[in-house]
Amino acid sequence: MTLSCAEVRDLAAGFVLGALQPDEDSAVREHLATCQDAHAEVAALGGVVPYLAESLEPVEPPAGLRARLLAAAAAERPAESAEGVHVGAQEPAGASEPVAFPSPGEREARQALRGPGWGTWALRLAAVFVIAALGTWNIQLQARLSGVSDDLAAAQAYQAGVAAVLEVATRSGAQTAFLAAADPATTAAGVAAAAPDGTVVLAMHDLARTTGNQVYEAWVIIGEAAPVPLGGFTVGAGGTGTFHASTGLAQPGAILALTLEPAPGATTPTLPVLTLGSLAVAGT
Amino acid sequence: MTDEPGSGALRVASPVDDADRQVLVDLGEGRLDALEELYDRYRTMAYAIALRITADAALAEDVVQDAFLGMWRHAERYVEGRGSVKTWLLSIVHHRAIDAVRRRKPATDLPDVDLPPPPQLISGDVWPEVAGRLDAIEIRAAMGTLSDVQREAIQLAYWGGLSQSEIAERTGAPLGTVKSRMRLGLLVMRRALTGATGEADAFEGTNGMSEAHP
Repeated sequence: MTLSCAEVRDLAAGFVLGALQPDEDSAVREHLATCQDAHAEVAALGGVVPYLAESLEPVEPPAGLRARLLAAAAAERPAESAEGVHVGAQEPAGASEPVAFPSPGEREARQALRGPGWGTWALRLAAVFVIAALGTWNIQLQARLSGVSDDLAAAQAYQAGVAAVLEVATRSGAQTAFLAAADPATTAAGVAAAAPDGTVVLAMHDLARTTGNQVYEAWVIIGEAAPVPLGGFTVGAGGTGTFHASTGLAQPGAILALTLEPAPGATTPTLPVLTLGSLAVAGT
Repeated sequence: MTDEPGSGALRVASPVDDADRQVLVDLGEGRLDALEELYDRYRTMAYAIALRITADAALAEDVVQDAFLGMWRHAERYVEGRGSVKTWLLSIVHHRAIDAVRRRKPATDLPDVDLPPPPQLISGDVWPEVAGRLDAIEIRAAMGTLSDVQREAIQLAYWGGLSQSEIAERTGAPLGTVKSRMRLGLLVMRRALTGATGEADAFEGTNGMSEAHP
């Protein structure tokens, strides 16, 4: 369909309101892209449209949406969002290319990305990264060791935690996740593994010490469902924490997240989410 | 059509928008805290739009999440443009919400939501930046200056996701009348928002003032 300038002017209001048939819509776009005329009427009419949106009273979305959004965003670009722990193995194809508005099809693509498919090398890579991350952290820790026994104890606790994570990670059908800082106020990070029998093990470092009734709560977020609490743990002066659950609902693509709760037994996360990471299955 | 419409008040660069652009730069670098900041700034407005269009809380949540994820993915693409970040985001929310609603009606043709807006709709001197000065009450007052049939046509299109042919069918008005109502309604609203009196009228002459009631 080829349109004249007069026809485009006739369709301008419908165009800016999104009320044209798809073929008309693309014909208008085609015309605007090439026409010598500035078609100021499109701008004049279109300039009003944002105010239609602004005439609404703001509505607070459900609190869980923030965590889901951040988890989904982190799962898409883990390498860039990770703080110090480089995952690197999951670069979505074409993610850096400028693409037009996200299409509905991308939803499926994203689901596919989040799901299994890291391949058999993932576990080996995971182990390498865990060791590298652990080593880096140990070096940093040793560099600031000042004879404080808390730090030594913390290093040992973290090593024990990572060993437990690796043990679970090597079981058949296990999944692993790197938890990267998701909140600017923290550098907390860690590793986690989940086994098919429901075992979930988490080893974290650089967590702020808990006080009073505070606990760090681990959450699993599957698809669009609300976060499910896995359990909590406290953290001492060393800033490390390990966590073990035997009834985890983890599955490939699930997000593991950590929040600081004022008291044990939280049923919905207290924001912000401190760290999160996406579980990936190994050996498939 | 050589008039320069809207030489009135619809174009003031705001500090808010500069801050938005910085957020987009950070977003392009993959910083989750930038996404969080953008979300905090616009989540209530984005959700209000999605909820109004879909009338479905779960669907509205999906729409908002997808819209922000779109920004997260394509922030670099935006930085090259010049329009308001807020306008860009809200138009993505609107597109996706309409798309989600139409998807529930299997027989409906879907427009291609992948297409970026034409330059006429994204150039920085076009999209209004006065939002900080106008609150929802003032904007609703501006909408109050529309005639009932104009407002109905615009609302069926913008909030209902109906095409102009569908609006004609639904309201029993001829297609040409529906087009006029949408056009005049937008111009009346523009005039009410800017306080402009002259330029907008230039457009009204071209389509006639037909408000025929069948």
